[in-house]
Amino acid sequence: MVMVYLIAILSFTIVLTTAIGPVYVPPLEIVSLLGNKLHLLENASIPQKYEVIILQIRLPRIFLGLLVGLSLATAGTTLQGLFKNPMADPYIIGIASGAAVGAVFSMLILPSFLFIYTRPFMAFLGAMFTTFLVYNIARVGRRIPVDTLLLTGIAISLFLGAVLSFMMFVAEDLHSIFFWLMGGFWLANWTQVKISILPVFFSFFLIYIFAKDLNAMLLGEESAQTLGINVENVKKILLVFAAFITAIAVSFVGTIGFVGLIIPHITRILVGPDHRILFPASALVGGIFLMWTDALARLLGEMPVGIITAFFGAPFFIYLLRERKGKK
Amino acid sequence: MPLEIKDVDTYYGSVKILDSINFNASHGELLGIIGPNGSGKTTLLRTISRILKPKVGAILLEGRDVLEMGYREFSRIFAAVPQDTTINFDFSALDIVLMGRNPHLGRLELESEKDIEIARRSMRLTNCWEFAERPITELSGGERQLVIIARALTQEPKVLLLDEPTSHLDINYQIEIMELLKRLTSEEKLIVIAVIHDLNLAARYCDRLVLLHDGKIVSLGTQAEVLTAENIKNTFGADVIVKKHALTNHCYVSPVPSPLKRQNKTEAGLTVHLICGGGEGASLMHELAKKGYKVSVGVVNMLDTDYEVAKLLNIPVVTEAPYSPISEEAFQAHLAVVDRANVVVLCNIPFGFGNLRNLEVAERALERNKPLLVFEATRIEKRDFTNGEATKRFIILKGKGAIRVKNQEEVFKAIGQL
Repeated sequence: MVMVYLIAILSFTIVLTTAIGPVYVPPLEIVSLLGNKLHLLENASIPQKYEVIILQIRLPRIFLGLLVGLSLATAGTTLQGLFKNPMADPYIIGIASGAAVGAVFSMLILPSFLFIYTRPFMAFLGAMFTTFLVYNIARVGRRIPVDTLLLTGIAISLFLGAVLSFMMFVAEDLHSIFFWLMGGFWLANWTQVKISILPVFFSFFLIYIFAKDLNAMLLGEESAQTLGINVENVKKILLVFAAFITAIAVSFVGTIGFVGLIIPHITRILVGPDHRILFPASALVGGIFLMWTDALARLLGEMPVGIITAFFGAPFFIYLLRERKGKK
Repeated sequence: MPLEIKDVDTYYGSVKILDSINFNASHGELLGIIGPNGSGKTTLLRTISRILKPKVGAILLEGRDVLEMGYREFSRIFAAVPQDTTINFDFSALDIVLMGRNPHLGRLELESEKDIEIARRSMRLTNCWEFAERPITELSGGERQLVIIARALTQEPKVLLLDEPTSHLDINYQIEIMELLKRLTSEEKLIVIAVIHDLNLAARYCDRLVLLHDGKIVSLGTQAEVLTAENIKNTFGADVIVKKHALTNHCYVSPVPSPLKRQNKTEAGLTVHLICGGGEGASLMHELAKKGYKVSVGVVNMLDTDYEVAKLLNIPVVTEAPYSPISEEAFQAHLAVVDRANVVVLCNIPFGFGNLRNLEVAERALERNKPLLVFEATRIEKRDFTNGEATKRFIILKGKGAIRVKNQEEVFKAIGQL
């Protein structure tokens, strides 16, 4: 039932956020253009200037927003489930920083004609390398205790932050790296959507397969194991795909923090902790959230969307901390 | 034997925690694992539930190697209830129980009506169906424990492993859960292995007990074989009294309070003789010994509580064979002991023809000018099973100057005034 509402909200969001921007496009025009393209409506006439804005500028941006929101929310949900900790998020445990280092590295030294493919690839390498590093540092025997993992993640993030600053210090084109890092959608195009759509849905599906395992792991890893789950394997697979899906998001739009933290949390309040519903629901909520924040970013003169999410996210994180303190 | 644990050694890193563990369990058996903290109880349970891998040894179920089974197959046969059942995510109780179907379902398969039926049956069995829809986070510790046991049963296992299922629970949940485990073994023919902290609970409900100490099995067998004061002294290092429960005939263990370990001191210089039996003198013996009086006790039957307590306190006792009337021999010995006492206390004991001669000793004591305190918390008529004979003699005692006391304070006051 919640899913029906969310899909309805998603449809409205696509139309409404397409309308928002430096040039206002009437929503009705958008609906008739979409209807036309999807062969649902016949012969609707749309002004040429709107068609270009909608198809070439707004829609790729909106779909990329949807994909990135979905990716970050899914990665966040996965990590929060894995670590049984609502504070986990791809940014906090260092995966996103790793991806950012990989991406910036590719921007610095690799030829630009391969840019669009190398950047996600390098981001993935960076994210995987960081995940591997954090995992192995945090590992005690064959297990990964949550607290050491979070601490290791934070330490590695700080280190990678220094690496990023260093790369920016030596970079010639500081401006583009700087703006990319703050996170934004202004360079969105259909190619990015096409490249990312399959890997994102593939990863989402693969992660979703483990929804029941994650539910059981919320009750404790030993409990999950007695329920027939190969906990250590599931953890590894989920970490890899959380890293992968994060890397895709980071490589196209830079670092947009806190989506992976807030969205799963809010969605859990809405639909409960069952990952079979939580995954699709938080993916949709994440997409919707990022589409709206990006629309807001457009209205605020192309402000990097990462700034807006951080404005929402950081206070929310503090609220979570206080909440936990209150419970104790 | 259905479940065989063979020569199992388990290590944490390089530290050996379990050392050649060997035992069997059969269907319909409730096996309790007991032992002091750090003796390896939980490690043993975690080894059987494959959380820990034994370095040496084998675990066989009906001849099959358990350690070779796949994860899912294993969890269709073995279910475990962990020590800590706290859950911070607000699944409903039914959701939690349905997770027990995981090993039977495919990854994307939804629970069918049949799975829900199995979950419902488990929840009825454990008496928690009534809160199926409530969030697990809102349940009390005992209710949550029932839900987690229901989840384990929903796995439809042959072996159920529980780690201290009753700790932190109040007595009615302790009983409810132990009764449940008993029912599961007798009716569902499960093999149930539970780590149990409370020795008396273990004695009351388990068919057999495994007593662990330093990772080794010290004793294995029925409660009467395992729960001896000697075994408990050797493993827990605690002095206890093991008695048979009057109602259930199960062993029950009670600790000896630590001051008892001191030898009697003779500061007060007085020797107090107690004529007792049936446990009536136990507490007074203890109090007197604590206060430093020399105590002697007479005539009690061997195996009587007063006998056991006197033995523990190193108090000289004049004894008689179990369930036998006082013989001439014991009577004479008793008189001799009374002769050495400064005060004689006649406890609030019931009288039958078997111990009537104890009243006679009291009378002799008075005749020899020993102060006699007669404890009369219960009226003598009610304790008289000799058709009035005991009452008659009791009244004579009072007539000859026995001091009547109603409680222990009065005893000490009277002794203090001597």
